[in-house]
Amino acid sequence: MSEPAATLLPVATASQTRSYVASLARQRRKKLVAVLFLYALAALAGLAGPRLLGELVGALQRGTTIGHVNVLVSWLAISVALQAILVRTARYASSVIAEGVFADLREDFLRKVVALPLSTVERAGTGDLVTRMTSDVDAMSRSVRFAVPETLIAVVTGTLTIVAAFVTAPLVALPCVVVVPLLVASTRWYLRRAPSGYLRERRVYSRVHGSFTETVESGRTIEALRLQEQRIAQGDADLRRAFLAERYTLWLRTLWFPCGEVAYVLPVVACLFVGGLLAAHGHASLAQVSAVTVYMQQLVDPLDRILHWLDELQVSISSLSRLIGVGFVRPDRAPTGAVPTNVQLRADDVRFAYRDGRDVLHGVDLRVRPGERIAVVGPSGAGKSTLGRLLAGIHAPRTGRVSVGDVPLVELEVDQLRREVALVTQEQHVFVGTVADNLRLAKPDSDDDALRAVLAAIDAADWVAALPEGLDTPVGSGGHPLTPAQAQQLALARLVLADPHTLVLDEATSLLDPRAARRLERSVAAVVDGRTVIAIAHRLQTAHDADRVAVVVDGKIVEFGSHDDLVAAGANYARLWATWHGGGTDGADGAGGSDDIVHSLGESHNLDTTGRATAFGSTLAP
Amino acid sequence: MPLDDPGRPETRSPIRFLWWVARGQVPTLAGGVFFGIVWMCGQAAAPFVVGRAIDRGVAGHDTTALLLWCAVLLGAGITQAVASVCRHRFAVTNWLVATTRVRQLLNRQAANLGGSLTQRLDLGDVVSSATTDSRYIGNALDITARSAGALVSFVAVAIVMLATSVKLGLIVLIGVPLLMLAIGPLLKPLHHRQMALRSSVGALAGFGADTVAGIRILRGIGGEAEFVHRYATRSQAVRRLAVQVAAIESVLDACQILLPGIFVVLVTWLGARLTLNHELTIGDLVAFYGYAAFLLAPMRIATEAAERFTRAIVGARRVLKVLSLPPVLSEPAQPKAAPARADLFDTTTALSVHAGEFLVVAATEPHEASALADRLGRYVDPDDGNEVRLGDTVLRELSIADIRRRILVADKSPRLFSGSLRGQLDPFGRASDAELRGAIETAAAGDALTSVPGGLDGMLDENARALSGGQRQRIALARALLADPEILILDEPTSAVDSYTEAKIADALAAHRRGKTTVVMTTSPLVLDRAERVVLLDGGRAVAEGRHRELLATNAFYRSVVERDAGSDVESAEQSA
Repeated sequence: MSEPAATLLPVATASQTRSYVASLARQRRKKLVAVLFLYALAALAGLAGPRLLGELVGALQRGTTIGHVNVLVSWLAISVALQAILVRTARYASSVIAEGVFADLREDFLRKVVALPLSTVERAGTGDLVTRMTSDVDAMSRSVRFAVPETLIAVVTGTLTIVAAFVTAPLVALPCVVVVPLLVASTRWYLRRAPSGYLRERRVYSRVHGSFTETVESGRTIEALRLQEQRIAQGDADLRRAFLAERYTLWLRTLWFPCGEVAYVLPVVACLFVGGLLAAHGHASLAQVSAVTVYMQQLVDPLDRILHWLDELQVSISSLSRLIGVGFVRPDRAPTGAVPTNVQLRADDVRFAYRDGRDVLHGVDLRVRPGERIAVVGPSGAGKSTLGRLLAGIHAPRTGRVSVGDVPLVELEVDQLRREVALVTQEQHVFVGTVADNLRLAKPDSDDDALRAVLAAIDAADWVAALPEGLDTPVGSGGHPLTPAQAQQLALARLVLADPHTLVLDEATSLLDPRAARRLERSVAAVVDGRTVIAIAHRLQTAHDADRVAVVVDGKIVEFGSHDDLVAAGANYARLWATWHGGGTDGADGAGGSDDIVHSLGESHNLDTTGRATAFGSTLAP
Repeated sequence: MPLDDPGRPETRSPIRFLWWVARGQVPTLAGGVFFGIVWMCGQAAAPFVVGRAIDRGVAGHDTTALLLWCAVLLGAGITQAVASVCRHRFAVTNWLVATTRVRQLLNRQAANLGGSLTQRLDLGDVVSSATTDSRYIGNALDITARSAGALVSFVAVAIVMLATSVKLGLIVLIGVPLLMLAIGPLLKPLHHRQMALRSSVGALAGFGADTVAGIRILRGIGGEAEFVHRYATRSQAVRRLAVQVAAIESVLDACQILLPGIFVVLVTWLGARLTLNHELTIGDLVAFYGYAAFLLAPMRIATEAAERFTRAIVGARRVLKVLSLPPVLSEPAQPKAAPARADLFDTTTALSVHAGEFLVVAATEPHEASALADRLGRYVDPDDGNEVRLGDTVLRELSIADIRRRILVADKSPRLFSGSLRGQLDPFGRASDAELRGAIETAAAGDALTSVPGGLDGMLDENARALSGGQRQRIALARALLADPEILILDEPTSAVDSYTEAKIADALAAHRRGKTTVVMTTSPLVLDRAERVVLLDGGRAVAEGRHRELLATNAFYRSVVERDAGSDVESAEQSA
């Protein structure tokens, strides 16, 4: 429970991301080509406008009839109508593709998440995954829905506008290239800095909001400890960081925006000037110059769109690499296909470290008799939860082996492992869905009667029946609220449905009030009769009810035997039990020894060193 | 930024509040308005200048005029670029100053109201007033610059057009607003659909996040395929809804081409006829074509501004809900003083706490113990007719600051903050390393220390999520010990701690607090056994007192209450009672 939060989830590399995007595009090649073609047609229709205006201007200059003007203007009206229809069709078609891509993307992400190796799930925690599921998917949605299609349209329109200008009058259009060096250089400069600037902004704002939420939530603590000034100063400091982050990106834009704005007007000026000179010498007509000038003015819109979406696109690429990165976790199991021959769980000389060189288990041996109930007790940080995870096949031991029926647990397929052994922790999660949904995930084919039978067995039938819609009542976030005890009953009911022969319960009831915990443990005891149970205990009554008790101290099992034997032995377990249960009036004397933990806390109750390593010796002597 | 003091806000009405915010940033608002006008007018001038250049320079084959008008166009372009970025800077500053100031106000209010804030308002609402509503207010101040530009440029273009051709000018000036109105009806159904889509996207994200948050269970017990299937079903439903919305959006896109397009066609046709009649020059015609297109921009800004101001008022109303909350407890007009080392007495329960003792209160109902703790520390006032006294002084007559300084109540769910572990334990930076070690030792929190990379100087995330429940509880206990108050009241300080560690804490706690008043609310026999005095609380009254072992031996009811926790049958204990 106390290991560091190591192993962050991977992020895809640039080339992995590129090939993913390429494969997305390949799957839809025909549709994409069709949409691009539609956009091109729409852009062409849009370009007819200036062309016709040019014609009109030329005709008016030469002197024309009202009839000819009417014809030209009618063509103008037709081009507008055509453009509108084409845009509507292209927009719709591209949305259909974009929504499809986006749906595939998020579904694919969830598929990857639920295939994550057990050890990664246990160690990475859910925070990072939830962030990816929410913020990164959200960032992708903006990109897939708006940035990508808008950029595509802009590129198609911009390209065609330039082509049209060149077709109309190559010499008049040519001067527009003066803008290229300015635009390319300034944009490259900006894009090298912008994404990290905006990501920093996002980070500092999530800090601002997180720390404000903390202040609001912790009002009582702030009041009690008189932390008002600290919290105000903290809030101001966070806002200061946000201000600095904003100032940085504002500075980037201050330099880049004017380059863009000048880039919009430069081609107009250049083409107009050169066109005017050419016209003066008879190399271009007034109509050509007018049309090219208008084309250049029309270029502003696509240019503006491309520049507007570029940094958004860059940011969403980093979101995408986080989403698909989840698929690149290396598997932690090496299934050999071996099938356990019996249901005996054992650990042999097991050592384990979360960080190199820091073993938290130092050679643990445990032979569990099928069907027995073992309680694991010991001080915090002694390695109880780690032992539990190893016994449940989640982590592989560094050395030694944990096996069932002579097959190491990490050599079993996950599905096979679940039939052998399952772990329930104090971490509760009620899924959004009905009560039945929450149970059925352990055994999808169970009917309502089977669910009710399981609930009855753990004493939960009554309250479930009393819910507004019984088994079909929506629970979880936004649904009918459940007490922690009820939530834990559901978790245990799931476990009973899954029906492994060995259960590892890691302080499964510690968050409940003592009475509810006790009741729940009793009902579970009845249900799991015949199965092997290893319960990591928080309260001593669990130990009292067990067949054998293992006392874990500092990564080793230091006492192991039945409750009565351990009490009779008069060692540390016995003294703790005496205080806990009867006020300790029988006064076991201080036979405890010093140990690492006591030392590490700077205590020195060295009454009698018997060589036994126990954590709680002398301090418990009355 | 941020301001040292965000000031005292005007809370009488949302509009007054917005006005108060705006008054605080008049210079930058004025700067934004100025550059907004220059920027927009620069844009408006472009078609005029292009028209002149074509007329005089190209059509007239006059190279000097061409050069002149091209230079004017370039100059206008550069001016506009500079004005645009200046306007942007002022607008961002306006946004930033306003949101920061509102957030500062909210943060101060939240810090000062303490625990009573979330009792009165929903946490989500308070947080969104700082995250979202403050942004709405900023958005309104941001758009003032562009609005001013839009207004002035609209008027300027109108004058130029009317001066050129009254007929065509009037058509444009009346036609453009009509166009905006024509698109309006399309927006309503679209907004409805978009809202529906947004909420179903939110629901999908929630479902996904929920599935991901339960991943341990899915991987441990099974059901992955089922959840993927359910997610995919919902995801496809959202996709279909999104495609429906896209269908409306694409029609809107088409309308935004069609309606202005038809209008431009109309203007061009009329212009061409006027040109034929020599009422308009060719340059004027090209310019009118440009004006008609340009005027859509100020109209769009006007629509956006109206929407932003409406939202800002709604946002300001929600912000004021938080800012106008008064404190729950009343301060005495003339605070009295109470002597040091005084006894505490609660008339509601008839329970007294002697100065300097280590008292454990065992309550049959845990909430009664919590209520007692709240009264003793004056987080609530007792019901009428009852009071809490510190020495001879009624607690209500002491200043709240004085009470908080002398009496520390560590409630059942103390919160930890993000930041360094040392800052957590000793927020005022007053404790020596030896004192820190001592408190950590007493709270048996050494393992929490080693589990945080960097130890004391290691960083914790929000509410120290990386620590286990038991570790958080022990860190909070160490923090309460380091605060070293005259009277320390701990409500179930070891509920999430295993028996081994609890025994160790119980031993060390009494010694650590020797000579100072300490009250612990618990029914754990491990702690009761270490108490100098135990009081049994039942039905809202103190019903028995004495040493733990005496009570165990002599009081069957006490035994039943305590043994229930220790693990005997509830039933048998109740029978023996």
